[in-house]
This record gives sequence, structure tokens and C-alpha cells, in this order.
Amino acid sequence: MSDKNPFGISLNPGKLRSKPKDTSAETVARTDDAAEKHGFVDRSPQKRRGRKPSPRTGQVHAKVMPDVAREIAAEARFRGVQQGVIIEEAWAFYKAQNDQ
Amino acid sequence: MPTIVVASPKGGAGKSTTAVLLATELAHEGVPVTMLDCDPNRSLSLWAGQSELPQNITVLSNITEADIVRTIKSNDQDGQVVVVDLEGVASRLVSRAISQADLVLTPMRATTLDATIGARALQLIAEEEEALDRTIPHAVVFTMTKAIVSKQHKGIEASLREQGVDVIDPPLMERAAFSGLFAFGGDLYSMPAQGNMQGARDNARAFAMQVYKRLAEEG
Repeated sequence: MSDKNPFGISLNPGKLRSKPKDTSAETVARTDDAAEKHGFVDRSPQKRRGRKPSPRTGQVHAKVMPDVAREIAAEARFRGVQQGVIIEEAWAFYKAQNDQ
Repeated sequence: MPTIVVASPKGGAGKSTTAVLLATELAHEGVPVTMLDCDPNRSLSLWAGQSELPQNITVLSNITEADIVRTIKSNDQDGQVVVVDLEGVASRLVSRAISQADLVLTPMRATTLDATIGARALQLIAEEEEALDRTIPHAVVFTMTKAIVSKQHKGIEASLREQGVDVIDPPLMERAAFSGLFAFGGDLYSMPAQGNMQGARDNARAFAMQVYKRLAEEG
């Protein structure tokens, strides 16, 4: 520190010690109870319940042969995805094949 | 090393400015500082993103009510100071941060409205001291003060002192350099000149030294 400064105090980081604090769940609960008395409550943003809306808002109107429909449905069910995902993959494959 | 929590349920009291000034002054003196940005407005992150962070400073963002205690604990270790900046609301996040503090700073503009709302933080600290059976050192710092001290300021300060509240002297004055930190980032030594820079540096340094003295006495 510069001697020129009238507010100069020599900093000795060794003097700065943290005291042990209780971080147990019981302590947090006691803190929350004390806080609630003074109106300090949970104000964290609440998550929306339920499934998030799908980003797949486009739609195709395709009629396919019954066995193809059954196979697409089975594959989607097996993988836990929407049938649209299968169509998207098929389309990506088609584009790659045709260098689009 | 200690955890300093900057808390007031009043918005616009100068919490983030206080946190940045304190952290940058301590860091300038060679003390490693970890800053926790617990404000959804991300004021600290805004400051941190304006330019390269000063040496000795780390900023952690998006700390929530669920992880504040764990985050403070993991950073509260020898060799560094933790500065926690909170949102200006009465939330459980604030009370949990206070429970882990070695010193709570409550910035307050010298107005009756600020003092009345800011006093809720002092009441909460008293309640937590009782609930946790430990003393939580705390102090008020007046912010955005003018060179000529108003009657209101004098009255509020006298009232706080009469009730045994520790008031840090000097206050943080209203200075272009202090608000400029959020436009330019960095610290008072690296930013482009804004007003009386030497006055701003002396003010911030004297404030930081007063905080340091309190921490050293406690430690």
C-alpha cells in the first residue's frame, strides 16, 4: 500500500479468518423459520408444471401404407420419441442422399 | 477467510455498487475475492462482462436459494474473501446467505424510506442471531451521499447509532466513477476517468479499510 494515502492500513490477509458455521439442514430450517417471521420467504421462480410444449409445430399430411404406419409407430414407441422424429430423420437421410 | 454478505430488502440501495467497490479494493490490495452474484438481475455479471476482471477476482453467477449455503461453504476457505451480492427483496435466499456471514453490510441511502425498509435486514439479523445462537456482525453503510450532509441523513444516522447499530464511516458518496463501474467494468484503477477519480479511489479505499478492520477485529 502507498504511504501517501491518509487512509492506508496495512492489509494482513492472515488476520482475516472465517469462523466455522453450521450448514446442517436443521440450521437452514431454523434460519428459514426466523426469516418467515419477517416476511423473508421463498421467492425463487417456480417451475411450470407439466410437460413443456413441443417445438415441433410443423405438420405434414402423409398417408402411408398400414404396415409402414405400424412400423413407424412401433419404432417411435420403442425409442420413446414422437413419430415426427422418425420422419425428420428420414428427411435428413433423404437430403443427405441427394446432396441437398 | 470471511464471508461478507451485502443485504437489504430495498432495491436501489447500492448493494451491487458496494459489493464491487469492496471486492475490487480488497483485490487491489492482493486479497483473492470470490464474488457470488445471487441477484436475478445479474448486476455483478453485467459488471464482470464489461471488461477483463481485475486480478484476484472470481465471479460466480446464478446462485439460487437451493445452493447458496453449499456455494458459500465451498468457497469459504483460507486465502480468500467471499462477497455475496443479493437481490433487493425480502427472500429466503437473503436469510440463508446471512446465516453463513462473517459480516453483513446493509447499504442504505440516507432517506427515511431506505432506512425503514433497510431496517428489516437488521431485524432479520437479530432474529437469526437468536435462532442460530451466534453473533452475526453487521454494519450499515450509507450510499449515494452528498458532500453536504442533509438533516435527514444526520437524523437517520444518529437514530441508528443510538440503537447500537454500527455505521461505517466514511459513507460511499454519489460519484460518477462508482456508477461508471457498471458501464466500463474493471476497477477504479483501470476504468476511464469519470469525475474526480482520486476522490473516488480514496472514498472506496477508506470504506474497504473500515470493512477490513471489522473483519480483522472479528477474526
